Amino acid sequence: MANLYLINKTYGENGLKLARLDADAEVVLIQDGVYIDARDFVGSKTKIYVLRHDVEKRGLEDRVRQDVKLIDYGQFVDLIVQNKVINFA
Amino acid sequence: MAQRTVLVTINQAPFGNIFYTEGLRAAVGITSGIDENIATVAYLGDGVYFTLHSVDRKDTERYMATLQKQGAKMLVERESLKERRIKERDVATEFQIIPRKELLKFVQAADFVIDF
Repeated sequence: MANLYLINKTYGENGLKLARLDADAEVVLIQDGVYIDARDFVGSKTKIYVLRHDVEKRGLEDRVRQDVKLIDYGQFVDLIVQNKVINFA
Repeated sequence: MAQRTVLVTINQAPFGNIFYTEGLRAAVGITSGIDENIATVAYLGDGVYFTLHSVDRKDTERYMATLQKQGAKMLVERESLKERRIKERDVATEFQIIPRKELLKFVQAADFVIDF
């Protein structure tokens, strides 16, 4: 079970700074959090997910990095159920 | 229901929003009831401005008093203070300043983490 950091724009950077120190961290960018380049905060081993719906809504499909996984709502729910949620959204 | 440990993070500065006070209100609620859940409050990011000893805390003093009575820890992230050039001596004595690494231990130990 990972520590799943839910990150949006408002104060998501506070959560990402904690996630950087957390060996069990996984990150999901949601809402305006999809504008954050989370890789600037966390190491290359940390899994980063981004909610497809929020990316498409903002027309950012071409800007999503290759090492970030796009997920739909169903996958998002699975992650929430399977992991411990650390909410910064 | 068993007793739970809940970490409430407050991330926004007073005033002009309800988060600095609603976060404390939620923390009080968490400690209430038969389960007497354990609440810890952590200030990080711009939230640390609330902890300055010169801040007017009249509208939250009853929440603060209740939380202190319950033994709730009131934490402030040291790095957030430093990033804002806030001197540690300017933080009120009811708050405990801890490094981010230490705060992470509270995050990992909590059953739930709620942000305001």
